[in-house]
Amino acid sequence: MTRYVMVADLRRCVGCQTCTAACKEGNGTPPGVQWRRVLDLETGTYPNVNRVFVPVGCQHCANPPCMEVCPSTATGQRADGIVTIDYELCIGCSYCAMACPYDARSMVDHAEYAFGEQPTAVEATRIGRERIGVATKCTFCAGRIDAGTARGLVPGQDPEATPLCVNSCISGALRFGDIEDKDGPIATLLAENQWFRMHESEGTEPGFYYIWDKGAL
Amino acid sequence: MSASAAKGVREVPSFCYNCVAGPDLMTVRVENGIATRIEPCHQAEAIHPGLGRVCVKAFGLVQKTYNPHRVLTPMKRTNPRKGRNEDPGFVPISWDEALDAIAAKLNDIRARGLLNDAGLPRVAATFGHGGTPQSYMGTFPAFLSAWGMIDYSFGSGQGVKCVHSEHLYGEFWHRGFTVTSDTVRTRYLISCGNNAEVSGGVCAVRRHADARIRGVKRVQIEPHLSPTGACSAEWVPIKPKTDPAFLLALIHAMLFEHPRSALDLPFLRDRTASPYLIGPDGYYLRDPASGKPLVWDEITDRPVPFDTAGARLALEGRFTVADAVTRGPDDEIRPQRDAAARTAFTAMADAMAAHTPDWAAGICDIPAGTIRRIAAEFLENACIGETIEIDGETLPFRPVAVTLGKTVNNGWGAYECCWARTMLATLVGALEVPGGTLGTTVRLNKPHDNRLKSVQPGEDGFMVAHFNATSQKDWMAQPTGRNAHRTLVPIVGNSPWAQALGPTHLAWMFASDAPKEWPDPELPEIWFAFRTNPAISFWDTARIGRAMARMPFIVAFAYTFDETNHMADILLPDATDLESTQLIRVGGTKFVEQHWAHQGVALRAPAVEPLGEARDFTWITTELCRRAGLLERYNAALNRGAALVPLKGEGYDFSLATDQAHSVETIWNAVCQAATAALSEGKDVHDLDWFKQHGHYVVPFDREDWFLTPTMVRQGLRYELPYQERLLRVGEELGRRLHEHDIHWWDSQLSEYVAIPEWHDVPERWVESIRSMGADPADYPLWGITTKVMPYTTGNNAGIPLMHEVSANLRNHGAVVINATTAAGLGIANGDWVEVRSPIGATQGRAAVVQGCRPDTVVIPGQFDHWKTPFAKDLPFPSLNTVVPLSLALTDATGSGADVVRVSVRRIAAPAQAGAA
Repeated sequence: MTRYVMVADLRRCVGCQTCTAACKEGNGTPPGVQWRRVLDLETGTYPNVNRVFVPVGCQHCANPPCMEVCPSTATGQRADGIVTIDYELCIGCSYCAMACPYDARSMVDHAEYAFGEQPTAVEATRIGRERIGVATKCTFCAGRIDAGTARGLVPGQDPEATPLCVNSCISGALRFGDIEDKDGPIATLLAENQWFRMHESEGTEPGFYYIWDKGAL
Repeated sequence: MSASAAKGVREVPSFCYNCVAGPDLMTVRVENGIATRIEPCHQAEAIHPGLGRVCVKAFGLVQKTYNPHRVLTPMKRTNPRKGRNEDPGFVPISWDEALDAIAAKLNDIRARGLLNDAGLPRVAATFGHGGTPQSYMGTFPAFLSAWGMIDYSFGSGQGVKCVHSEHLYGEFWHRGFTVTSDTVRTRYLISCGNNAEVSGGVCAVRRHADARIRGVKRVQIEPHLSPTGACSAEWVPIKPKTDPAFLLALIHAMLFEHPRSALDLPFLRDRTASPYLIGPDGYYLRDPASGKPLVWDEITDRPVPFDTAGARLALEGRFTVADAVTRGPDDEIRPQRDAAARTAFTAMADAMAAHTPDWAAGICDIPAGTIRRIAAEFLENACIGETIEIDGETLPFRPVAVTLGKTVNNGWGAYECCWARTMLATLVGALEVPGGTLGTTVRLNKPHDNRLKSVQPGEDGFMVAHFNATSQKDWMAQPTGRNAHRTLVPIVGNSPWAQALGPTHLAWMFASDAPKEWPDPELPEIWFAFRTNPAISFWDTARIGRAMARMPFIVAFAYTFDETNHMADILLPDATDLESTQLIRVGGTKFVEQHWAHQGVALRAPAVEPLGEARDFTWITTELCRRAGLLERYNAALNRGAALVPLKGEGYDFSLATDQAHSVETIWNAVCQAATAALSEGKDVHDLDWFKQHGHYVVPFDREDWFLTPTMVRQGLRYELPYQERLLRVGEELGRRLHEHDIHWWDSQLSEYVAIPEWHDVPERWVESIRSMGADPADYPLWGITTKVMPYTTGNNAGIPLMHEVSANLRNHGAVVINATTAAGLGIANGDWVEVRSPIGATQGRAAVVQGCRPDTVVIPGQFDHWKTPFAKDLPFPSLNTVVPLSLALTDATGSGADVVRVSVRRIAAPAQAGAA
């Protein structure tokens, strides 16, 4: 069995948004749609204040609420844990967006471009008509994973088989891999560090782990 | 470039050097001739301290390339009137017309002489952020060299947006143009506002993240909670501009509240001037025969020259010296009989005695106990006496460091901070050794690619220092550049970088208000501007804009229209980051935290064809030189190394014929081959095609060469610390020279030339400046400061929508950051529109109400207030630059000022023009 998961080491993350930009550029998402982004959170009262940067996006839950509410079966789940959206089946009802506890889904109803009404040369080559009027979200760069593994590469270790946000992360906060590989780097990382998963109480069993050893966020 | 499996896909190696924290290596993915995305250079993971990655800014380069607002043809101005409210009437012209027009101006100037009647260059040039434009201007440096005298005086924020005092004093004391921690080994780091996680680049971010996992304790001392503060073990909110008091109190605690054994006494005795004896007049007591500074020999119990073999030097104490001389200003030799002497160390301790933690607590608003604890933790982690082996060499191991941020490090108070920071390192022997406080590179000394080679013996057992002359005979009574760096700032010297590190705002101020003691400077007849936008990036931007509008002929290399090229006469569209060719240096040690175990070169080759009529900078330069009759001198400059390396060296000769105009490819092919031949000592010669495939070429760089101290030991030199006899003398001489010429408006700056810095009321200077503008300080009760976010660290990409979108995830993007209690008192809620006002004007934006900011401080990140740059002009963002005055009174002796201003804040209705962005 394989289950791909993301790990964000919050001790490392500096909130630089490099992953956000790399994801947007690599996946050609339109303005305002961020499959990966980093929250800038503050707790406490002056002068005892903590500020923490938290990468978020689709958590690729084992029990995805989005899939449960999808009336068209567009949302699916692969054997490796990646939660998918079939744009052909999606009817754009947004039930999934409402159901997601992680605010991870986006939908646009018309094409938008960075500089206004006309696409740039690069946008013109990357307009995903199939992604208009349907729900979209982080795919864990499933296409890269599939192409990479087909060549014998290991996601999370070989860049060509690894999500773009992880490749781009300059602090080493984002890590990716197969948690079922018990001797692999992800399982080891989680075994050696304190971690939590977001909204664990919802029973979603997210595939997104946060390493954090400094108490409540 | 490597062919991908997908048809029509190429991956082109390149680099990003859009901020001083680079260069970093990257890959451009090109699909069917269109650049589609930026990726890291994974092949460089083993050699690049940031594992081959680039920061968020690089990901904006695709949008930068395809920005529909680009200027894509040469243009000329048709409206002779210049000003913000004048339409320049730019119309497209051919390259021939544009270059011929510039060449005609150049030829006319050359015929009349390169200098005007005031002795100032008729041609001026300004390049932006920290020298990084040089990595995008191809062979233009060869044109500058071929031309001759050029005025680089007009700054675009230098002295304000950089760590100016660190540049000057850091390089003077330990060849550290910028200064950092040895982050890979440091255990305890005191960071006074150093924002490594935002502006340190990918190398700093990775090194600090690894250090956190390793267990480093970083204490962040700053008025607001930056990302660096957020990632630190502790945030200490200090009152703005009181860092000198905090740092001096740390020194006090270490000197008076801990045993001497907590300090590195051998380092102080052998590697610094601590034992040098100070005479009653404040100058070193010297041996009358040799002129050498005296020390007290504990074996013979008498004074001896500092380099006396077999002497045991007293580190501290007070002595009577029977027969000595001191050397005062203007080489006045003063006999000293039975002189009361004390060591430099004792003089320092005397000066620090009053700077107690309890005293500093009231100034800095930091509890004395916190100051004491930090001093104790610093000492506990200093590992006095320990060593470490690096590449087979045994070196001292002192894993404690102190770093300074921008506003701490420029303007009044910065001298004190730089000195105190360097002394904190010195007291525990942590200067320029593993784990400690390190310089990165040199810019005022040479060679730039290896700071260790700049270390040569100078006077009094110290490194050589290249100050501008202050003697009656050689002082430059009249400026040679419009910011008067040689006349006013001795420590900046006169190397190629010195002008741009002078008091660059003075050039703008003197453009309309020149000192009566000097000839009218007259504006330059041609001003070249590239990757610079002083019309928004300096203080009092309205005043800068008015001065700029008086420039008679401006040639701007233009990416889009902007606030500065709005005043231009000719716009030249250069092929930008993904479209052009250049070989640059990578590796070794560079600012900010680029400490590599390799050094070499990297190529930027066109990933895509230039859009429109944009041309490679090298082509533009060659054509300009050809038309201006400079071809031979230009090619000769290229052969000498103006485009990176000399084209002829031992065992190789790739020199270019000097009588021909060479193609871009021919020139860079020669540079590629010469660079690799030089790096490999002839073993490898790689041409341009090889670099297009492989991107970079490196050879090992000794990690021992990250540290200056081994070189100092080998040469038997001492760090010029703690006592600043040289600065004291230079300051007195400068004062004499200025007063001899009846110049008294620099007297305040002269007060900074003291041998041991002590506290003076630094913040009060900003309060006083309010009074001097005829306003009541009570009306401006808050401190206004600025900070950065990584996507905009250089302020050079405000027109790129992707940067705006991703930055919006950060709470302070485009906002006025204000403490929640303060905001509540002013009736301000998060997201409300507010006006930030100083006596010179106001700026408006939305409030970001936070807990992580001092109640007496507001923070305006970045620098916006664009009114011409497409996209950016529609961002309804505030800018501190708009409300900070250009002020001589707020200029320190190095010529720098700080992004600080006293302000008022009030809630306002949303302005009508505010967009939704």
